[in-house]
Amino acid sequence: MRTKEPKSGEGAGTPPPAPRAESGAPPPSSEGERSAEAREGSSRGGLRSGMDFKARGEPFIWIMGGALALGVLMIAGFLALVLWNGIVTFYPGPVRVVTLKSGGRIAGEPFRSERFRPSEAQLKALDAASRRAVAEADGFAGRTLYRIGNFDLYNEDFRWAADHEVAGVEEPPDVFFVERAEWGPFIGFVKELRLGARRVEGGRLSLDELYAAHDRALARRRAVRAIEVDEIGAVNYYIEKERLALRRAALEHGAGSAAHRAGKERFERRTRAMRGGFAALKKKIASINGEDARFTITLREIGGREKTLRLSEVVRLYPANRLSVGGRLGVYFSRWTEFLTDDPREANTEGGVLPAIFGTVMMTLLMVVFVAPFGVVTALYLREYARQGTLVSIVRICVNNLAGVPAIVYGVFGLGFFAYTVGARIDQLFYPERLPSPTFGTGGLLWASLTLALLTVPVVIVATEEALAAVPRSMREGSLACGASKWQTIRNIVLPQAMPGVMTGLILAMARGAGEVAPLMLVGVVKLAPELPFDGFFPFLHLERSFMHLGFHIYDVGFQSRNSEAGKPMVFVTTLLLIAIIALMNAFAIMVRNRLRRKFVEGQF
Amino acid sequence: MSERRASRGDGEGRGGRRRDPGARRSVRVIDRLAGRIIAVGGLFVILAVLGIMVFLVAVALPLFAGESLTGSASFRVAPPKSPLLSVEADDYNSVAVLVSADGTLTPAHASTGRPLKPLKLDFGGTRATAFARTLEGGNAAFGFADGTVRFGKIRFRSKVLPAGRAPAGLARIDERDLSDGRSVFSRIPGDQMRRVWVEADLGAPQQAAPPGTPILRLDYKVGGTPERPSISFATVDAGGVARLSLTQTRVNLLTGLSTSSVESVVLPDLPRRTRILGVLLTEKADAVYIGSERGTLFRYDARNFGAVSLVEKRDLLPPGERLTAFHFLIGEEAVVAGGSRGSLNVFFRVRRPGAAAPDGLAMARAHELEGHAAAVSGFSASARSRMFVTMDEGGAVWLRHSTSEATLLRLRAKGMAGGRRFIRLSPRDDAILLADQGGAVNFWRFSAEHPETTFQTLFGKVWYEGYPEPEYTWQSSSGDDAFEEKISLIPLIFGTIKGTVYSLIFAIPIAVLGAIFTSEFIGPEIRSVVKPAMEMMASLPSVVLGFVAALILAPVVETWIAAVLLAFALIPLLLLLSAYLWQLMPPRVALPLSGFPKIGLLFLVIVLGGALGRLLAPGFESLFFGGDFKAWANGNVGLATPMLFLIFLPVSFLAAAFCAERLLGFAWRRKLRRMPHARAAALELLRWTGTLAAAALLGWAAALALAALGLDARGGVIDTYVQRNALVVGFAMGFAVIPIIYTIAEDALDSVPGHLRAASLACGATPWQTALWVVLPTAASGIFAAVMIGMGRAVGETMIVVMAAGNTPVLDWNVFSGLRALSANIAVELPEAVKDGTLYRVLFLAALVLFSMTFVVNTIAEVVRLRFRKRASQL
Repeated sequence: MRTKEPKSGEGAGTPPPAPRAESGAPPPSSEGERSAEAREGSSRGGLRSGMDFKARGEPFIWIMGGALALGVLMIAGFLALVLWNGIVTFYPGPVRVVTLKSGGRIAGEPFRSERFRPSEAQLKALDAASRRAVAEADGFAGRTLYRIGNFDLYNEDFRWAADHEVAGVEEPPDVFFVERAEWGPFIGFVKELRLGARRVEGGRLSLDELYAAHDRALARRRAVRAIEVDEIGAVNYYIEKERLALRRAALEHGAGSAAHRAGKERFERRTRAMRGGFAALKKKIASINGEDARFTITLREIGGREKTLRLSEVVRLYPANRLSVGGRLGVYFSRWTEFLTDDPREANTEGGVLPAIFGTVMMTLLMVVFVAPFGVVTALYLREYARQGTLVSIVRICVNNLAGVPAIVYGVFGLGFFAYTVGARIDQLFYPERLPSPTFGTGGLLWASLTLALLTVPVVIVATEEALAAVPRSMREGSLACGASKWQTIRNIVLPQAMPGVMTGLILAMARGAGEVAPLMLVGVVKLAPELPFDGFFPFLHLERSFMHLGFHIYDVGFQSRNSEAGKPMVFVTTLLLIAIIALMNAFAIMVRNRLRRKFVEGQF
Repeated sequence: MSERRASRGDGEGRGGRRRDPGARRSVRVIDRLAGRIIAVGGLFVILAVLGIMVFLVAVALPLFAGESLTGSASFRVAPPKSPLLSVEADDYNSVAVLVSADGTLTPAHASTGRPLKPLKLDFGGTRATAFARTLEGGNAAFGFADGTVRFGKIRFRSKVLPAGRAPAGLARIDERDLSDGRSVFSRIPGDQMRRVWVEADLGAPQQAAPPGTPILRLDYKVGGTPERPSISFATVDAGGVARLSLTQTRVNLLTGLSTSSVESVVLPDLPRRTRILGVLLTEKADAVYIGSERGTLFRYDARNFGAVSLVEKRDLLPPGERLTAFHFLIGEEAVVAGGSRGSLNVFFRVRRPGAAAPDGLAMARAHELEGHAAAVSGFSASARSRMFVTMDEGGAVWLRHSTSEATLLRLRAKGMAGGRRFIRLSPRDDAILLADQGGAVNFWRFSAEHPETTFQTLFGKVWYEGYPEPEYTWQSSSGDDAFEEKISLIPLIFGTIKGTVYSLIFAIPIAVLGAIFTSEFIGPEIRSVVKPAMEMMASLPSVVLGFVAALILAPVVETWIAAVLLAFALIPLLLLLSAYLWQLMPPRVALPLSGFPKIGLLFLVIVLGGALGRLLAPGFESLFFGGDFKAWANGNVGLATPMLFLIFLPVSFLAAAFCAERLLGFAWRRKLRRMPHARAAALELLRWTGTLAAAALLGWAAALALAALGLDARGGVIDTYVQRNALVVGFAMGFAVIPIIYTIAEDALDSVPGHLRAASLACGATPWQTALWVVLPTAASGIFAAVMIGMGRAVGETMIVVMAAGNTPVLDWNVFSGLRALSANIAVELPEAVKDGTLYRVLFLAALVLFSMTFVVNTIAEVVRLRFRKRASQL
């Protein structure tokens, strides 16, 4: 193929036939004079045609090829980095106990190793042998970062151990890695388990018994949580609703009016019953908690300090160095399950991202609802209705500008216009009882998706236009010839044919929207949303609520948490998830596009 | 357009009728309706772009709107029986109070002059000879003829109560306000009433000057804690002696009694017979300023109460002009001096190297404001901003802003009799009160939403307090009350440009060269793999890029900075070397390998370059940068020559190559043609090596020469290393920009008609010559458009910059320091900005600037691209 293809590689550039060398380089610029000379010279001398290295430009081609290779390597390296880190993060590693030369002991999961340059002060503190070793390595030394957990005891999550500090490393079989609901992981040994009246010493502990007790504790925890969130949440919701109704009556009819007094009475009557229910639920929770308090686990860290906590406060625990590969995979998948289906814990650095996934999906879907009609209508206008002229040129320039305007500017516009202008007006008209706390007058799901719709409309327009252009003219003409009106033709012939293209555009828009963070920071994304935008209370979909977003989650955990190192694993997994979602959407779009192309390549002639 | 549209629609309609008279009416109606809707929808895009622009302008515009007078009144109250000391107003401009020397407070309704019941401070029959007040808290101090000082409070109290609970029988003042004779009741939204009244109290006398020496000037500040309040005050007595005194009150917790003690020191070195106009004291009582009537400022360092010393003495006014106004602005960094010829200057205490004063500070004339026509006779500073109001003897009252040097409002006193006048800027910066001895009062209400923003403060150099000279500064928030927002957009615009430039320096070569290679030198199979891969880079969310850049890349680059720099040099060199080695292969062998194997080799060379860079980095670092690049960049170790050499290397290589080509290029090539391929290629490799060696020599010589001249690469583009820097940003932004430029440039190259290439190749040009002289010139405008669009993306990129750029608003080109871009600044600060506040509007202005930048870039790109498309289709 290479020799047949006119622009392929070296094909045409190699062993130059005689007449080719004769003709030399093409005329333009000063090169022309010299190549003309060359032509003369060669013909005069009647030379054997040799290689003109300058004409081949091999070094330049290599530089260009290098640029491309660098670009591809960058993307490949980047994806590999994200993929690798995202995939291995949840795999439980061994827990090592490191004995330091200074006498201290660290127990922790090795996190990463690197080479570093010890500072002057650090070097001075070293013994002669290690100092020599550092000097031989051009001032570099190796060190390993251990995740030591036990934040409540140590006030740090991580600890570096330089290679020259370490006296010995061992992996004791009975060390446990305990993920707690609060304070992050605990790394240490199980000293004692208290199951109701029974006590089990750490040494005689059977894992099965531990896991069974833990499962029961978790069930209790879930039960409490269910009551707290669902039932008490419902009570609070209805009380708040009554309160707002009362306030509304006061605003509409004036405080102290008959309607207001009646409302007040109603409010008292209804909330009294609810408050009673509330007390009963509290009592129920207290009884479960009382039972729960009888099941505790006492842990001992490497330094000997002990910590007793309820079994239900433990999210997951495993003997890190005794696990088989199967056991490790079990932990691995249980962590993935938690990640995909649970709420975040510990300032988002642990737990799951379900609300963020939910928010991202909701926002993107809502965005599509807004973006689809406008994108398609504009594309129809440009392709089917408008006469090519100045106006269409202006529209095109606007489309491209819309595509080129920085996302953050949309965010600014969305905040200022949608939330603060339109939203504030909506609040005044429909939700006066909730003022001064804003309902629609602040960032929320609706405004975020409208903002992103504005941002992604060019993507849809361009894709739809392409699809419309690909619909063969003959089909339109056929339809018109059969007597269909223009709109009928578009609706029944053109649009269905172009549908895959429209879908491609929408999916690409979704991919773009799902990955955009900057504007969302202004119009409604929060680090921790108290409620999902979708729940069991009318009207079920709460467009005014703020929401969580995977992209913002990455920013928040990576940059706003107390220890960016502790959040890093979470960020990598979230990144992997986000990239996977976007890549899937893109791949799907490309697939649809290719199918569409094939279809019309056949149909064109 | 719409007319044409309609007429066309009608035409078609008629046509339809002609062909098929039975067409249903509904079909025609729907058809026309759809046409209308689609036309309107199509224009929605224009509407959206215009809408965004108009909205941004509408929000930002009030920044430049002038201040406006919203109401004024003048009235007369009962003239005070003793000299007037001050006039005061409350937060809501409900009550105005005239304070006179015998302790009488005469309150009145501020906008009508309706009198309220007077209050009396018990001065024991004497009259105050000096008066001072603090900017906030309603603290007042009085000095007396017997050398004592008494502290008190003149406080406005306010209380909001439901409208129903207001007392009955209130007298109406105007449509908003009522009165019960002591307080003013105002109706406020939410069916409520606000009651405002005055309270005053007075403390015991404290002996500040020798008994019997009247106190003429007084300034004081309240500090300490509620349990141990301390009052510091500075006095000037009739003998011309200035003192700094400290009062400490101890409250005995058991008995509840308070005891207070006064300590005083005489300010030394004040020339005898200096006629003192005013004395100013800072809140921490660490500095005292005395202004003499002849315009001399005496600055005392009082940080050590036991050893107060005169540290600076300077003239505030041109010779011959007398000082008539001498006051602090909020924050006590700025001293305002007004003169008898109307001049008005603001002085800052700034740190100056080589200052004469022992504390290294000096008073500098920071702002020279528009002068009055007559002597400046009255002054009142704002308690919340750098606004102040001045008044001259001729009755002109000007509202001014110190930082922007603007005169915001020019008013004129009405109905004033003779005698001293007092002026007051109300606590919320929305009204001015002027009163004279005869009881005439002028009251102006104004709105000054954004007095600090002018074109100059937003885009020019501004001298802010605490800075040694005018600078472009962005600093929008701080915990301090007296903090002034510094809002120059220049550092942000500069940051945006810096980020864009560095990312484009990195991205353009890779993207454009890669695009040319893809389009011209590789076959369709490889292309169909490579192009989607590059396009995929475009869909990576920028938050991910930013995260990786900031938390993974930045630390790695910091540790391996030498390796990174070395790789920048090594990769091109290795590529060139392998090109010359490749040429050694006879064409028969090379040809079949020029597909995948060559591409594979390219990848290998890049990886090799990186690996080699890392391997050689320590040696390179110790050879070139004294063993530690960061220390070298700081200027601590190493010489200037090595880096200059590295910078000159490419230049000298080009120069050497150019000379060689010019001198013997043609003869050389003619000679090579006669040789067998292998020998020719070997010689060619030799030539390249020779050129490189020559270039190295040349570069080193140039570097030595320039270093001898004292030139150093450090201090400009290369300077102190910060972890999150422009290099990292440029690299990360490359991920965002490269795919865009690459895709569009590749499309442009691809749309160059095939027959041009075919013709060129058929004429015997090599693919390289075809690409360089035929394809590239044709596609140049398309590539330009690609670069412009890439630039638009780089300008607006937000998350990468937020995360990886460190967000320090610096104004230098140092590639190893951070930056704060417009976009990042908006993302970080807008969520916290108060709606319709100055910062909010300035951030909208920043968005508008960003919008305009990208609008220009994109429009140019689009116009160029449209023209290119037209041309390409015509070819």
